[in-house]
Amino acid sequence: MANLRDIKRRITSVQSTQKITSAMKMVAAAKLRRAQEAIENARPYAVRMRATLEEVSRGPLEEPHPLLTVHEEKRNLEIVAITSDRGLAGGFNSAVIKTVESLIDERTGDFEKVGLTLLGKKAADHFRRHRPRQITFDSAIGGNVTYEQAADTARELARRYAAEELDEVIIVYSEFVSTMTQTPVVSRLLPFTPPETGDASAGRDGGEEEALSYEIEPDPEALLATLVPKAVETEVYRALLENQAGEHAARMTAMESATKNTEDLIESLTLQYNRARQAAITSELVEIVTGAQALE
Amino acid sequence: MAIELVVVTPTGETLSEEVEQVVLPGEAGEFGVLESHERFLTPLRLGPMQIIRSGGTSGGGGSVANSEWAALSEGFAEVDGSRVVVLVDTCLRASEIDREAAEARRVEASDQLAQLPDDEEHAGERARLAVIVARAELELDVAGR
Repeated sequence: MANLRDIKRRITSVQSTQKITSAMKMVAAAKLRRAQEAIENARPYAVRMRATLEEVSRGPLEEPHPLLTVHEEKRNLEIVAITSDRGLAGGFNSAVIKTVESLIDERTGDFEKVGLTLLGKKAADHFRRHRPRQITFDSAIGGNVTYEQAADTARELARRYAAEELDEVIIVYSEFVSTMTQTPVVSRLLPFTPPETGDASAGRDGGEEEALSYEIEPDPEALLATLVPKAVETEVYRALLENQAGEHAARMTAMESATKNTEDLIESLTLQYNRARQAAITSELVEIVTGAQALE
Repeated sequence: MAIELVVVTPTGETLSEEVEQVVLPGEAGEFGVLESHERFLTPLRLGPMQIIRSGGTSGGGGSVANSEWAALSEGFAEVDGSRVVVLVDTCLRASEIDREAAEARRVEASDQLAQLPDDEEHAGERARLAVIVARAELELDVAGR
């Protein structure tokens, strides 16, 4: 039979754990709201970017943009893996890491070398232990995601792609589907695929039929030179934002179930404590009664 | 006589209002946009944007126009007769610029730039720092206007 004081101590310790998990849950909920706002705020930019890109790619191009060109030779593949800096978020980061690991196994045959660009400490922690030689770049995300950070990463990748140091770039991140679900997404970043020009005329307000409804100055190539790198930056930025929202959502869910578990644990410990106390009282009473009887 | 100016950055719509005229830093040189400008698309470089709002309603020679400056980073502009949509990484209005912070960034980045060797290997890093310096200089310039 456990000692009364031991049980009491365990209850206190579980209670303080509960305080931590429920506080973390609330913090995550607040951060999730902000992260979702950031996704919302980024949307108009992305939508316009895509519309313009569509517009420009519809016109005839004299020379294709280097980031749109597919490299025939497949030598270097770069995988960009995005995870969070911190853990305690359930299976959030391990899902991405697992996806990256299987992607590496799958693609190693096709390419001579597979490099890793890691954003977020969790990915860096894992791959530094398992594939230290393949890491080309790693960085923590640190606080809130900034466009600057996404742009820096995208610019460096684009520079290496244009210089033919890389032949394909794949990005892996968690997509924020809902508070309960975040799924790892694998998508090709470079060569960049411009959005489908499919039903371009249908969705347009005026429904004009001209090949190009805008005059482009100086020429489409010059505009693409600005547009395509920006679109790649926007993709990376979006991935980082999705990851950020997903991280907080996953942590919120994980901490909610942790809080629930502590409640269950406290309940059963309290029951145990009361039983032990009752047993102690009973045995004391028995002693007293036996003592009194002995005196008679 | 007015034109709608919309500035969209990755962090949200930073500006949306009716203005008299906008002067933008086009890649091929600065250009002004007034109402009923021809529809066109053009890349923008890092530079100042001037927003001119109508001051008075006087028809002839009413140059009471008040103007505001903003620092734009590169992006592009989509113009049609009634609207100018500017898509850029950042758009900071003169009043929002923190001069001390910009100065600090300029000094830090130019120091780092001065220390980096000028070779192939550091080209990416040099380009990144040069952008920071140029941006900080632009902010200081715009804030001073």
